[in-house]
Amino acid sequence: MYIHDSLTIDQTIAPMKRLLCMLSFVAISPYVAAQQFQRELDSLSQLMETQSVTDTATVDLRNHYTKQALFANPSDTTLLDFAEKTLEISQKMGYGRGTMLAYERMALIYQYSFSNPYKAQEFYHKALSLMEEDKKLQPYGWSIYGGIGTLYYEQEEYGKALDFFKRVLKHDKNLELTATANMANIYGSINQLDSAILYYNKALSLEQVKSNPTYKANLHSNLSLIYGQDGQVDSALVSAEKSMALIDDYGIEFVRPTAYANASMAYLGNNDYELAEKYAKLSLELSDAQGNLFLQKSAWGTLADVYAAKGDFSDALEAYKKFSVLKDSLNGQNRRVEINRKQLEFDFEKERTVTKAEIERQTTLKRATLLGGGGLLLASIFGFMLYKRRRDAVEQKKEAEFRAMVSDTELKALRAQMNPHFIFNSLNSIGDYILKNDTGTAMEYLTKFAKLMRMVLENSEFKEIPLEDDLKFLELYLQVEAKRQPGRFTYGITVEEGLDVQNILVPPLLLQPFIENSIWHGFAQKSEQGHISIGIAKQGDMLLCTVDDDGMGWQAESGVPTTKKSFGVAITESRLEILNTQKNAEGKLNITHKGRDKGTRVEVSLPLETIF
Amino acid sequence: MTIAIIDDEQHCIDHLVHLLQPHMDHVEIVSFSTVDQAIKGVDSLRPDIVFLDVQLHDNTGFDFLSSVSYRDFSLIFTTAYEKYAIEAFKFSAIAYLLKPVDRDDFEFAFQKAMDKTEQAQLHERINVLLSNVSKGNSPKRISVPHKEGYVFLLVDHVVRCQADVNYTHIYTSDGKKYTASKTLKHFEQLLAGHQFFRTHNSHLINLGFVTSYHKNGYAVLSDGAKIEVSTRRRDAFIKACAEV
Repeated sequence: MYIHDSLTIDQTIAPMKRLLCMLSFVAISPYVAAQQFQRELDSLSQLMETQSVTDTATVDLRNHYTKQALFANPSDTTLLDFAEKTLEISQKMGYGRGTMLAYERMALIYQYSFSNPYKAQEFYHKALSLMEEDKKLQPYGWSIYGGIGTLYYEQEEYGKALDFFKRVLKHDKNLELTATANMANIYGSINQLDSAILYYNKALSLEQVKSNPTYKANLHSNLSLIYGQDGQVDSALVSAEKSMALIDDYGIEFVRPTAYANASMAYLGNNDYELAEKYAKLSLELSDAQGNLFLQKSAWGTLADVYAAKGDFSDALEAYKKFSVLKDSLNGQNRRVEINRKQLEFDFEKERTVTKAEIERQTTLKRATLLGGGGLLLASIFGFMLYKRRRDAVEQKKEAEFRAMVSDTELKALRAQMNPHFIFNSLNSIGDYILKNDTGTAMEYLTKFAKLMRMVLENSEFKEIPLEDDLKFLELYLQVEAKRQPGRFTYGITVEEGLDVQNILVPPLLLQPFIENSIWHGFAQKSEQGHISIGIAKQGDMLLCTVDDDGMGWQAESGVPTTKKSFGVAITESRLEILNTQKNAEGKLNITHKGRDKGTRVEVSLPLETIF
Repeated sequence: MTIAIIDDEQHCIDHLVHLLQPHMDHVEIVSFSTVDQAIKGVDSLRPDIVFLDVQLHDNTGFDFLSSVSYRDFSLIFTTAYEKYAIEAFKFSAIAYLLKPVDRDDFEFAFQKAMDKTEQAQLHERINVLLSNVSKGNSPKRISVPHKEGYVFLLVDHVVRCQADVNYTHIYTSDGKKYTASKTLKHFEQLLAGHQFFRTHNSHLINLGFVTSYHKNGYAVLSDGAKIEVSTRRRDAFIKACAEV
């Protein structure tokens, strides 16, 4: 049974974590050994000190230095200040290429030193906008596309990442190696193992890789992992050992933690648990020291697999928990949403600029049509295109705004649940009882009111609550209102037989605004006693909630039907809209005015959600 | 019958006295506004029911309980919003009323107190309460009502709870099973925030005892029990496991 356990854990975990070392998207410079590299850095910084005048060469030098220094020591956070300074100098001079590259460097720093994808994305987009404005910058800008591609890759948005890398591969020969390697990584991540192996071997056969042992080590390491997944355990081990040999020979610290993690997997595939555990632990130590969360996540994942294979389940679970926590913190839904929103905003801005340019062109065109009738046709085609473009842009903007609306509406809904009107009227009623010396009733009313407020506070913490709790609230609310206006109305709550009220989930206090409307508007001017019936019933896979009164009809108060929606109705509509989008459901709000003096019926249908 | 009200605010005493009006012909009410007075008064007057406020000037009702030597009364706490205290009352199965006190709630609690059902094993339950509210990280205990009274269990020793209509079977790490006269929902609410997770309509489990999870829908606990995790709860369960 325990062996079976380990298999299950393995299967559950394995597809979620692949350890492909991402290579930073940097144009490849010939490899220099660590010491030599430090010397190069030193001479670069000396060079910068000796240059007293600031010119474009200084900016280029500073940008060059930033990139080299970042990959020599990714945990050096002081580079940010340095890069900001470069940006400032370059902007002052109006040096476009320098500014664009400085933005890119800032993005790289946020991406690799701070593990902050939003900031990285923001700076990449600043760099991109410059590139879009000035066609002359284009040849230098493809690495930005590569950078954005790696960002998406980190967020596991593989389709988008692939698009970006394909563009790079098409346009920039200098970046052929990195683009090929990253595409191989992505194919690996989406389990297209044949394509992955093909692209890795393609990358390994490129001329550029010969002078760059760092890259070579990394490619072998990743290839080892993919071979392992493909069940080619022998090839996996060969590649892993090739990679580690290169790392030791050239002292390539940057790749070491991932290479160890992948080697650990390869040993695991060959059932060599001792070496597997040793390398997994080494990998964890190194990535801890680097402070790289992404690598730490991978290392814990590998360790979980190793322990599970050894039959050491408590350690496996520990490791797996650590892995999950890191994974969640790295690509929580929020981050992904944020990145998407940024992309949408950027696309929208771009569209708008294009549209604006088109409008200008169109004006010129219009003048031309005065001269030639043929132009008229052209202009109308343009007009249509413009209209379409603008409409698309508007739609994208809408989508970007939708998410913001969600939280906003939830907040408003919270307030609508307990209309301030209601609170102050309740307090007035209590005061009134006290004035009339009916302290007993005042006290009774007050305690019910306090209970109600307590429930509102407790319930509004949750997005969904059991129907049972929601009904308790409505009942109490109706009691309080009935007490406030004795003899004004009676009420009944009917729940369809067989409904499991403890197990059904509903958004809290969704019906309250309608009951409030019935009491305030339906019965306000009615001379005889009114009645509200509240019904909950199942209808297919929907839950049908109704509020039916026999009052004057909400609109009767003013004599003419109002077109303005009540606040409560508007809020409920947007809560339903959010619910529909999130659950892909078709919740509806339906208000029937039964006619003057006959009352109003409100029907809310919700997707039937249960806890279990 | 003697009733003691211990509260540092006169209007709260007045309110309880008002709620006691219908019972005036067979009760005698005494009230105290400090812990010291209350200890002396209760020890000498030996009341049948005690209404006890949580916050008493610089002291608490718990200080009163730990010092008073006479404890053979029915105890009802009164409090406005002390969340930690409410949790402690629930853990120890000690009655409490929220201020301002609602008449229906009051009558319910008062009737139970007069039946003396509130007195069963009160000593032990007060001890559970005092250990749960004591400073420092002493392990939390719960009082579980069952047919012969109460059993007192360390929360950390509860492996899982299983629903059986209106009863709940509680399994502890020493291999014992207790049947409580409360619903599973009661325990779910009680133990929320203490690493417990409702995996299924009839199962509440202590995440600390989960050893593995199988993707075909069940969790294995350290005592070997296989507990179903319903499809709708799977994602939340895996997430909760990771957070333990």
